[in-house]
Amino acid sequence: MVFPTAERKLAPRQVAGGSYNKAERSLPLKRNTLVITAVLFILATFAWAGWANYEYRKQAAERLAASAAQGMLAPDAAGGAPQYVTPLKGKPAPAFTLEDLSGRKVSLASYRGKAVLINFWATWCAPCKIETPWLIELRNQYAAQGFEILGISADDIDRGDPQKLSDEKKAIARFVEQMHMPYPVLIDGDALSKPYGGLDELPASFFVDRKGAVVAAQVGLTSKDEIEANIKKALGN
Amino acid sequence: MFEMKTKIRVAIAVTFGMAVLLAQGQADSAGRSILKGAAVEYLYPEQVTVVAGRPSTVAFHFRIAPGLHINSHTPREDYLIPTTFSIPEGAGVRLEEASYPAGTEMTLPIDPSTKLNVYTGEFAIQVRIVAAAGNHLVEAKLRFQACDKSACMPPKTIPVAIDVIGK
Repeated sequence: MVFPTAERKLAPRQVAGGSYNKAERSLPLKRNTLVITAVLFILATFAWAGWANYEYRKQAAERLAASAAQGMLAPDAAGGAPQYVTPLKGKPAPAFTLEDLSGRKVSLASYRGKAVLINFWATWCAPCKIETPWLIELRNQYAAQGFEILGISADDIDRGDPQKLSDEKKAIARFVEQMHMPYPVLIDGDALSKPYGGLDELPASFFVDRKGAVVAAQVGLTSKDEIEANIKKALGN
Repeated sequence: MFEMKTKIRVAIAVTFGMAVLLAQGQADSAGRSILKGAAVEYLYPEQVTVVAGRPSTVAFHFRIAPGLHINSHTPREDYLIPTTFSIPEGAGVRLEEASYPAGTEMTLPIDPSTKLNVYTGEFAIQVRIVAAAGNHLVEAKLRFQACDKSACMPPKTIPVAIDVIGK
């Protein structure tokens, strides 16, 4: 009476072809799946960690590059207001070629031999509007000594939309006309943001000597006297 | 065998999906850190419940970083960029009217003749909205242009996230 039961229990162990039945093979299969999932998860985690690390390092390198070009305020030795110190000081001014309002290309290189004030401004910037008459007076005063200003508008330029581009150019032209700016005004200054240290604040001015090196820089509204002193430095007076 | 392959594929898909989600979370948190030191910060509310289909007024509160100001909605000069609040179309919530606070008159120390009308510190914009029935995650926008006493930052648009429940 016992044997038939034992046989019945053993019988399902073998099926045609010698393979295991469903109930018995499901356990090792489940274990395999779990192991494979765990291994894949670990691999994926490593891959993700590697990718995240790469992204982090890339961003850190970009931040470092940006901060290397970015100036900072430093205390004035004479006890006056803090002075803007740029890492570009003593180095060649980053080269550029931009369009003026008529579409003519103007490059900084074509002003080699002159002292140049590169002045970043925007139509929406109230301090820029205050500063502009001073710049015009100083430009007219020192032009005979070989001094020129390049006004660079940081207003947004939408080259993908001809109508918007035209409106934006008109707004800049209106400002130039109202202020009677006699010097070249170039557009799309945002393109120079990186080489000139971010341009997070306007107005920003870089004073370049006759050899093309940056001798001083200012960010924010200072005073006509300070601008004049930096123009004299650029002229080598 | 086929069953086994399917399981492996599912396992790969699940692990890959988890890795992508983790990576996205990491990227989002890195992106948010850029907003540190923002000129204007949205304060509250994060969620409002209004009567569906009827106009309701909600006050949106903002804070400007110390030492900075932004142009009011009605700056004194045409060339200055006004502060504006907007809600994109198709969000399930319609902006009927925005009522901006009056700005404060201000002059720059270096040139008292330049008159500005600005917001400083905290301010609130009263917005009349009409929401459809349901839960709407709205990303409104605040556009402004900030300056301190001597320099200006480029105009900026910040997201104003709010959960609007229309009942």
